Amino acid sequence: MANKPPPFWQREKYTPYILLLPAILTLVFVVLLPLLFSLYTSFTGYRLIRPESLYQWVGLRNYERIFSDGDFWSAFGRTIIFLTIALNVEFLLGLGIALLINKITWGQRTLRTIMMFPMMFSPILVGYQFKFVFNDNIGILNNALQSLGLSDGAIPWLVDKYLANFAIIFAEVWMSTSVFAILLLAGLFAMPRDPLEAAKVDGCTPWQVFRHITLPFLMPFVFIAMTIRSLDVARAYDIVDVMTGGGPAGRTELLWTLIARTGYDNARMGQANAMAYVSIILSIAFTYYFFTKLIAARKYMGGAA
Amino acid sequence: MMNGALKKRLGAIGLWVLTFILMVVMCVPGLWVVLTAFRPNGEVLAKPPVWIPENPSLLNFAKIFGVGVDQVAIPVPAYFMNSLIIALTSTAVALLIGMSGGYAFARYRFKFKNGMFLGLMLSRTVPGIALSLPVFMIWSRIGLIDAKLGLIIVYVALNVPFTIWLIDGFFRQIPKEMSEAAQVDGCTRWQAFWKIEFPLAKSGIASAGIFAFLTSWNEYALASNLTRSTDSKTLPVGLMDFTAQFTIDWAGMSAMAVIIIIPALILTFLVQKHLIAGLTFGGVKG
Amino acid sequence: MAEITLKDVVKRYGKVEVVHGINLDIAHNEFVVLVGPSGCGKSTTLRMIAGLEDISDGTISIGPEVVNDLPPRKRNISMVFQNYALYPHMSVRENLGFGLKIAKQDAATIKRRVDEAADILGLDALMDRTPAELSGGQRQRVAMGRAIVRHPEAFLFDEPLSNLDAKLRVQMRTEIKKLHQKVKTTVVYVTHDQVEAMTLADRIVVMKDGHIEQVGTPMDVFNHPVNTFVASFIGSPPMNLLPATVQNGTVVFSDGKSVPVPARLKDRVREGQEVIFGLRPDDLTPVGHGIAEAGDSARVALDIILSEPLGTETILYTTIAGQEAQGKMFGPRNVLPGETLEFDLAMDKAHIFDAESGKTVRLD
Repeated sequence: MANKPPPFWQREKYTPYILLLPAILTLVFVVLLPLLFSLYTSFTGYRLIRPESLYQWVGLRNYERIFSDGDFWSAFGRTIIFLTIALNVEFLLGLGIALLINKITWGQRTLRTIMMFPMMFSPILVGYQFKFVFNDNIGILNNALQSLGLSDGAIPWLVDKYLANFAIIFAEVWMSTSVFAILLLAGLFAMPRDPLEAAKVDGCTPWQVFRHITLPFLMPFVFIAMTIRSLDVARAYDIVDVMTGGGPAGRTELLWTLIARTGYDNARMGQANAMAYVSIILSIAFTYYFFTKLIAARKYMGGAA
Repeated sequence: MMNGALKKRLGAIGLWVLTFILMVVMCVPGLWVVLTAFRPNGEVLAKPPVWIPENPSLLNFAKIFGVGVDQVAIPVPAYFMNSLIIALTSTAVALLIGMSGGYAFARYRFKFKNGMFLGLMLSRTVPGIALSLPVFMIWSRIGLIDAKLGLIIVYVALNVPFTIWLIDGFFRQIPKEMSEAAQVDGCTRWQAFWKIEFPLAKSGIASAGIFAFLTSWNEYALASNLTRSTDSKTLPVGLMDFTAQFTIDWAGMSAMAVIIIIPALILTFLVQKHLIAGLTFGGVKG
Repeated sequence: MAEITLKDVVKRYGKVEVVHGINLDIAHNEFVVLVGPSGCGKSTTLRMIAGLEDISDGTISIGPEVVNDLPPRKRNISMVFQNYALYPHMSVRENLGFGLKIAKQDAATIKRRVDEAADILGLDALMDRTPAELSGGQRQRVAMGRAIVRHPEAFLFDEPLSNLDAKLRVQMRTEIKKLHQKVKTTVVYVTHDQVEAMTLADRIVVMKDGHIEQVGTPMDVFNHPVNTFVASFIGSPPMNLLPATVQNGTVVFSDGKSVPVPARLKDRVREGQEVIFGLRPDDLTPVGHGIAEAGDSARVALDIILSEPLGTETILYTTIAGQEAQGKMFGPRNVLPGETLEFDLAMDKAHIFDAESGKTVRLD
């Protein structure tokens, strides 16, 4: 007595594809197709105020224009520097904080919870919060400095070229360090004690234990954090938009604020889309780099973690 | 010469000092905003500064909610409802899609699995502002600009990759044998999922949901360009209404900030344990 | 209660074939143990019987029915998993009754059958606990209870004892055997532990690399292994396997020492044949310390490398023709390394395998 095989959609082989179909459809329609459309637009002279310009094919002119534009390159360079400084500082601070909290026995849970909060803050709030803190007139920072007698005048935190960039990096670091701290702390908790004790018995100094046992073990966690971070580096747009709006006079302009200004304020959609593609490739490169590192670290760790 | 005990004690003191500085930097900026929300505007601008509010009041909150004032400058209640509707709906949809996809990644082996996973993650890397350009152009053609639905669709897509990642991790923690045992016990695969695997992954799925909710609740880059009016503007976009004015109403803005923060704080508190577990598990064990 | 028949069953994952067309008839109420090293395909075979893996080729029948395309729930079988797979969010009572509830049995029937199973396995006191509150042995019993409440056609066990500590394992082994005597039903049991296989099985199926090597009763498989793999896998310590050549009616080892070809195998070997000479440690004993009745035996002097006293017996490590071999000393005395002892080789228990094929030369 043979049984009829089930219809194709009940067969094991096709189930995963059916389960993934809604996700794939969503992303195709909301991300992939629009990106293809914007890729097309980046080869046109599209301006929002002149709809017919959508069909005006200009070839690579948008790209030529942005690549020969000093403002673009300074925003691009500033973005790279911004990311490099922010990610490195976040990693080092996060590592330090994780080690610190790991040492503390009393109130550890509370500290951990407090560490989580910036992760959940709206970037726009972080931006607002620091716009307030760094305000030259009524900001808490200048108020504190003046009350303590460390400064006579109002320091123009958000106006001076260097100070303003420092301020936005500070806000970014404040917001995102906890991603590293939390994940590295989880890594420290997951760390097996045997290798640590073996190293101590073998005569390693605390620094050597850290360098040769703890740090290699934490590397996959570092890369998870880096990957998660690189997914949303562009959140910095919100912060900058609120704090300085890229100003004054483009002193804090990042690639993302420049895209918004070009596309929406100046209505040059074609050119903005060309820049957007540069920013997408930048983000993908970041993520891809850390993701491959993560895969490699995971292989290296085997099942140990 | 320093003896061992003294050295240890100094080390402990150093630890506490560092922790204290850390907590100050972490907490003071937010605390300052919260305090400002309860100050009258005059106190905010006072020189020399007033550190502890002398006349704390709820006036700022009353003002933004339009209680006891003639004209409402910023329609916060409308923004609040928009935010709530958009975040809740997009979270619910993203969770359904994420559960389905996460289960596929956790339980099945199939062609292009790694490639698809990478594709999902890469779709999440697209900067919001870069994505907003084409979405703005398309939405304005099909009438989804300044509509809640337009933002909901975008947020679903924004949340799906991360939700899948998290839920994949939570399903992986449940041994496959659970579902197999249930199937041998007489369940269909569908029953085995709802009666065994879903109840076990429930708290993890809930935290993925909270995370998705917060992402939608906090999002700014897309919302600021796809919304126009009280029909669809969300709280983060509404916050910028304040800066559009010539003088910034710091006290009012702080009150609104507090309103945006509160759900985030509560939800963070609920989600913390599962979130860390989910992220590290999914990432390391793969 | 039914027989299970596997006919030319093949399992492929993509292009890799892991089970190569196995045939097996399991009789009604029989306790069959599939045993073999990890990766031999025994678990895959069990999971194909359960319906948890697709059958790539061939057929599996439970009773009269071919079940290839039936999902697990329609096969009327129960399974005990290696890590028990108890539902952590349900009490013991709910775990036991889950299958019946899914089958929409009425509350009274569920209660009666759950209580019956609890009674058989002594779970009465644990009914309201959750799996997390149980010890390993108790979880094991609940898993078995969950299997018996449904009165299935067959029980499938997938390495059920491998997560228990040694002492508990022995205890649960006995319980499983008792259970089978109480609840007569067909059992297919997978393990990598040959002791479990020997003690539990009506029939043992020895598997390797996706093939069945030998099927037989425990004593049959122990006494008449068909090839060197079965010979070395069943029995502990394992059988000594020594390469040798047949010359003039003797088995000559590589160092020139020789023993006569056992009388019963004389006609089975040919002059000059490369063979493997197999002898269990129990049959390699110092003179006066054996258990074999005096029969066809050979005597060799061997140097002791190491001795492991176990109380009633001592395991002796020595070398024969440059290869390590183990013997046993029953009624032991102290033995020092370096000592030379005269050994009896119980030739009527010796095995000879063809060196090339690894198969026994005895073809009965």
